[in-house]
Amino acid sequence: MFTIEILKIYKVKKNFGELMALNSVEVTLNQGDILGMIGPNGSGKTTLFNGISGIYSLTSGEIFYKGESLKNKSPHVICRLGIARTFQIVQPFSQMTILDNVMIGAMYGQGLSLPQGRDKAEEILRFVGLGEKIHLTPNEVTTEDRRRLELARALATDPEVILLDEIMAGLTPTEIDEALHLLRRINQKGITIFMVEHIMKAVMSISNRIIVLNYGEKIAEGTPKEVAENPEVIKAYLGERYV
Amino acid sequence: MLTQVLINGILIGGIYASFAVGFSLIFGVLRIVNILHGEFIMLGAFITYWLFKLYGIDPFLSIPVSFVILFIFGFLIQRYIINRIIEAPEIMSLLLTFGLSLIISNLALTVWKGDYRLVNPEYAGANFKILSFTIPYVRLATFSFALAAVGALYLFLQRTDLGRAIKATSQNKIGARIQGVRPSMIYAVTFGLGAAITAVSGSLISLSFSVFPSMGGDYLLFSFFIVVLGGLGHIPGALAGGLILGILQSLSTNFLGAGMTYILVFIVLYVVLIVRPAGIFGKGLV
Amino acid sequence: MAPLKASGYWLRFLTFIFMWIGLAGSLNLLTGYTGYLDFGHVAFFGIGAYITGILMVHLGMPFFPAMFIGAILAAVMAVIVGIPTMRLRGAYFAIAMLAFAEAMKHVVLEFDRFTGGGNGLSLPIYTNYLFFYYIMFSTVILTIGVTYWFEKSKFGKALMAIREAELAAEVSGVNTFRCKLVAFGISAFIAGIIGGIYAYWMTFLYPGDAFSVLITMRMIIMAFLGGAGTLLGPIIGASFLAAVEEVLWAEFKYSYLIIVGFVVVFVVLVLPRGIVGLVKEKARVK
Repeated sequence: MFTIEILKIYKVKKNFGELMALNSVEVTLNQGDILGMIGPNGSGKTTLFNGISGIYSLTSGEIFYKGESLKNKSPHVICRLGIARTFQIVQPFSQMTILDNVMIGAMYGQGLSLPQGRDKAEEILRFVGLGEKIHLTPNEVTTEDRRRLELARALATDPEVILLDEIMAGLTPTEIDEALHLLRRINQKGITIFMVEHIMKAVMSISNRIIVLNYGEKIAEGTPKEVAENPEVIKAYLGERYV
Repeated sequence: MLTQVLINGILIGGIYASFAVGFSLIFGVLRIVNILHGEFIMLGAFITYWLFKLYGIDPFLSIPVSFVILFIFGFLIQRYIINRIIEAPEIMSLLLTFGLSLIISNLALTVWKGDYRLVNPEYAGANFKILSFTIPYVRLATFSFALAAVGALYLFLQRTDLGRAIKATSQNKIGARIQGVRPSMIYAVTFGLGAAITAVSGSLISLSFSVFPSMGGDYLLFSFFIVVLGGLGHIPGALAGGLILGILQSLSTNFLGAGMTYILVFIVLYVVLIVRPAGIFGKGLV
Repeated sequence: MAPLKASGYWLRFLTFIFMWIGLAGSLNLLTGYTGYLDFGHVAFFGIGAYITGILMVHLGMPFFPAMFIGAILAAVMAVIVGIPTMRLRGAYFAIAMLAFAEAMKHVVLEFDRFTGGGNGLSLPIYTNYLFFYYIMFSTVILTIGVTYWFEKSKFGKALMAIREAELAAEVSGVNTFRCKLVAFGISAFIAGIIGGIYAYWMTFLYPGDAFSVLITMRMIIMAFLGGAGTLLGPIIGASFLAAVEEVLWAEFKYSYLIIVGFVVVFVVLVLPRGIVGLVKEKARVK
């Protein structure tokens, strides 16, 4: 089996005025990976995600998806190419039903028609466990469900890579286990997962590789075990709570 | 001739800058586009007018009065009305300040009637000459006051604790809270401050332009123009933007005709929005 | 729907209500569905009106083609102005549109050889008021039809997604920029059609009337009072406000605007979803 390089982040820098949020970060994802990204608050993780999904332009460096540069591409184009993401603070379409929310992903991320989009959305909502709630609005369901919704909407765009930004924040241990189970099933379908997480136990158990960011720089990379024993990482995290 | 036109433009520009600064400040900190802005100018102008007309108080002396009254007014409006929708989508604050501006300007119209008023103290027409240029005393004085007001605001934000707290809130609401600053209080103070300095500019304006209840609308547009040029939320930029507008208006009125000013302003605005939406210095919040 | 009483007053009154339903509806297509507030929407009404008038007067064109061309030009202008302004936050768009409407008014005033300037433009006289009744009614049908399409179509859902969470829509594959422009163009087209009809109906066009900011204000209030982003909202809002105005207008000429201001504030603070939203909520609770 060949390992295909699906996402290549090459010497990426991002400045906001004098603040250097990302400093020459390099990451490579292979197809089928579950790559975990950890690091203290403010280390640039969300900034990197925003750079990949085209929300921020890069100060320098480049990002390649399946060999194609993502430079200057709009977020919607990047989505249609196959990179989906969720947000740290969920952004549902509040006045629309859960079904409609996911339909947006299906219709515009995949280019489906209204009826096709509806079918696809229903299928995905069943997959994530929201099948009974499709006609409710996001305000009428739990936080955990809203996370599922965010995930479902991203899945509906038929991605090959999905960026998850702290999707397990605020979940109970049971909910975390359910989430991990769901993520494994998603990965089994061939979708590459790049996830930011603070919940160590979760991210360490599911990822096949971990990278660590601190102050906008990558300070470690390797298997979960290697990273956990890395002195640089321990130093950066001194005081970080282990779940 | 051209130089005289430019001088006129610069003198007026300083005043324009002073009324745009409040708009920029409020946006920078509260992220609200304050449609009520024009009414603050109008109220400041009327305070000066009535104090002059009824009590013979010199317009320059009425400035502190405008400042205080509008500070309180702005503070209360924000604290008890606008604060309710501060977390809501932007369109809500636009609508709310729009509704408030309707109420205030039409209340003023009902009470004070629509006549155009003038504030003309005895020294109004006096001017002095440098080389071959004429500089009216009043224009020079209002220009200096305007500059002083903008400078004072700037120093306040940079040097005082409260000012720094305001700046911190504009950058990072959560970060400011961690430092022990209560955002809702900061918002109210900032809005009050913005209103107050705008009222001061209104007082200054009353010396050069007519005063009437619906005058706010034009000044709102001008403020927007200035602030886009200078960068929305960037206070020093408002100064540059004001001077540019002053010069632009002076040139256009003299060489193209008064009606063309609006058209020219819109064209420049349009070009700036395409080419450099973050303003000349590139520090605006887009 | 045939007029029950063909008397002059009722015919005229109903034609006016249809016009306002159409205008509020056209604003609703943009603001209700994308969340972009347009403070200069009257510009498209005025452009439609003036282009229709100019083509009929100077080129002898018959009404229908002239009106149609006027509406198309309005839509084109919308796209031209939308391109730089819709890339930025909604506040820029709102006020830039206000500036645009003002600029358009001055364009009409300046180029008076074609437009009649401040003296107005006289269109060919046509006093078949029944004709205008039916044609305004047709625009209501058109507006409702387009709104219904927005409610049910794939495109409409994209607009609603933009309104709710624009960034999330963008990363879900929606080309938000293009969708916004299309909605804007459609909404301007309809406003332009209504403007063209208005011009022919009134026979005399004045820039102050055709580009009056009061028209924009009323469109906004009607759309929001009724319920922005709903099918029935503009109908309810326009009918309600028009009925109320008929009663209040004679009594309180300017205080009326104060009341309108209070209505806006009330809607924002208490009824953000408008009357339709309130009814829907009651239905849900049951």
